[in-house]
Amino acid sequence: MRKTVFLLFLLLISGCQKEKISFSEDVSEVFYVDNAGASMRVLVEGNTKSNTYILVVHGGPGVSSYFYNTGYITENLENNCAMVYWDQRNAGASQGNSNGNNMNLDQMVLDLKKVIGVLKFRYGQNMNLFLLGHSFGGLITADFVTRPDCQAMIKGLIDVDGSHNYPLNDTLTRQMLLTVGQNQISQNRNVDKWDPIIAYCNAHKGNFSLDESLQLEAFGSDAETYIDSVKQISIPSIVLKQMIPDAYPLTAILVNLLYSDDTNFNRELSKAQFSQSLKNVTIPVLVLWGKYDFICPVALGEDFYTRISSSEKRMVISPISGHNLMFQDEKLFCDEVNSFVLKYK
Amino acid sequence: MLKKGFFILIIFNFSLCHAQEDSITKLPINHYNLKFSYLSSLIYPGVSAGIEFPVIKGRFISADLNWYHHPDFHDNVYLTAEWEMRRTNKNGIISEFSFGPGFSRTFLGGTTYRMNDSGDISVVKLAGYSYAMITIGGGFGIDFYEKKKLPFLAIAKMNLISMFPYNSTIYFRPVLELGIRYMPGKFNKN
Repeated sequence: MRKTVFLLFLLLISGCQKEKISFSEDVSEVFYVDNAGASMRVLVEGNTKSNTYILVVHGGPGVSSYFYNTGYITENLENNCAMVYWDQRNAGASQGNSNGNNMNLDQMVLDLKKVIGVLKFRYGQNMNLFLLGHSFGGLITADFVTRPDCQAMIKGLIDVDGSHNYPLNDTLTRQMLLTVGQNQISQNRNVDKWDPIIAYCNAHKGNFSLDESLQLEAFGSDAETYIDSVKQISIPSIVLKQMIPDAYPLTAILVNLLYSDDTNFNRELSKAQFSQSLKNVTIPVLVLWGKYDFICPVALGEDFYTRISSSEKRMVISPISGHNLMFQDEKLFCDEVNSFVLKYK
Repeated sequence: MLKKGFFILIIFNFSLCHAQEDSITKLPINHYNLKFSYLSSLIYPGVSAGIEFPVIKGRFISADLNWYHHPDFHDNVYLTAEWEMRRTNKNGIISEFSFGPGFSRTFLGGTTYRMNDSGDISVVKLAGYSYAMITIGGGFGIDFYEKKKLPFLAIAKMNLISMFPYNSTIYFRPVLELGIRYMPGKFNKN
């Protein structure tokens, strides 16, 4: 009797971990990649028959890939390709024990390489794989594509409001807050809100500490809400809409985000930059940017765009977006990504 | 460090069992209650079964085996040892508060792969993690013995389970428990 119960229990648990690899136009399957103390969740959703995959490298650190899997993207991208939503270590549904010591940029790039290795193992070595980096994800993808041999693993790179150079990022954020802020004040718009931002920027002129950097980012996040032409989005409403159908592990997402926000990792990141090595990038690149992105200003995207050596490159700026173009200008995002992937797959 | 933690938890568990053994020797052999519960976090289901022993009036020690399933995230099997404080009024309305340590073993919600440095990929069998736990909970219910002389009580309890070290931090999960307790000691009195 005891043996039967034990066998039933093992069967139940192993059933939950049963390998599932599908090739169809409407796939949704989850697997995990275990590396250096972290088991990272990977969701593959969409058309795996197309043999074309877009691997989303989310922002943060610590923001989950769950948020990128919106209804609009499902309807407008996943027909033509498969989206791969990877939760980085210590983010989203990724799990582990005492693994905080492994949280660094170098490890995350190694994680990315292993995720790609496992993806190709599951779905075929000849897959057409594209990387899509958003915000902090842009730093990981910039690190990745500037390493020897890594570009050969992918067909192209999509950089959406990404940061490839944190010190430059802070300088440009300050400049943009000052320029746009003063302009808004001259038009008598949200003067009470812009005044403290301008005062802060005037008092903090460069060589930013982590606290200053975080403050500039916080101002940047607020600033795009003061611009009338920017489409406002509500992350809580996305969460409420998707949390049940996508089975969000809400408290795990939250504790991972809080941990990542507070880790020393951010101190190391504040010096990270890949501007000098971008000249090594030769693969096709699509750069998508929000005109009113104060967190990663357009000038940062232009720096990225002009420094890469790719002959096949395109930069598009959305006039109604801030830092989250994929949510704020969904049509432009999906149209551009679809044509880029179709052209270079 | 983790192994030491689990060892201490296990010792603590055994010492609780031992402690209850001592008190039970002074009570009738069937002086225990059986617990069966449905567990739920939002829409994610689970079950729990356990046994509780009275220590003094309104104070119990319980041991429970629990499981929940969160699709694509993990299955969690966890053992808890809890100190329960229960108050029952003359109408049979009960209030309960409990807390205690536990041990959790999760099973990841998908095939788990490991790639070594030479690029070889293998599937990790029964992939998941072990965690130390602390649980705390409180709720209300009805003791059917008080009015109807039935050896059951029904309870709705909100528990907060915490697991650590979880990604170098603490994972919290609220769990709603809807359960019944069967009290064979009271049944024999009828």
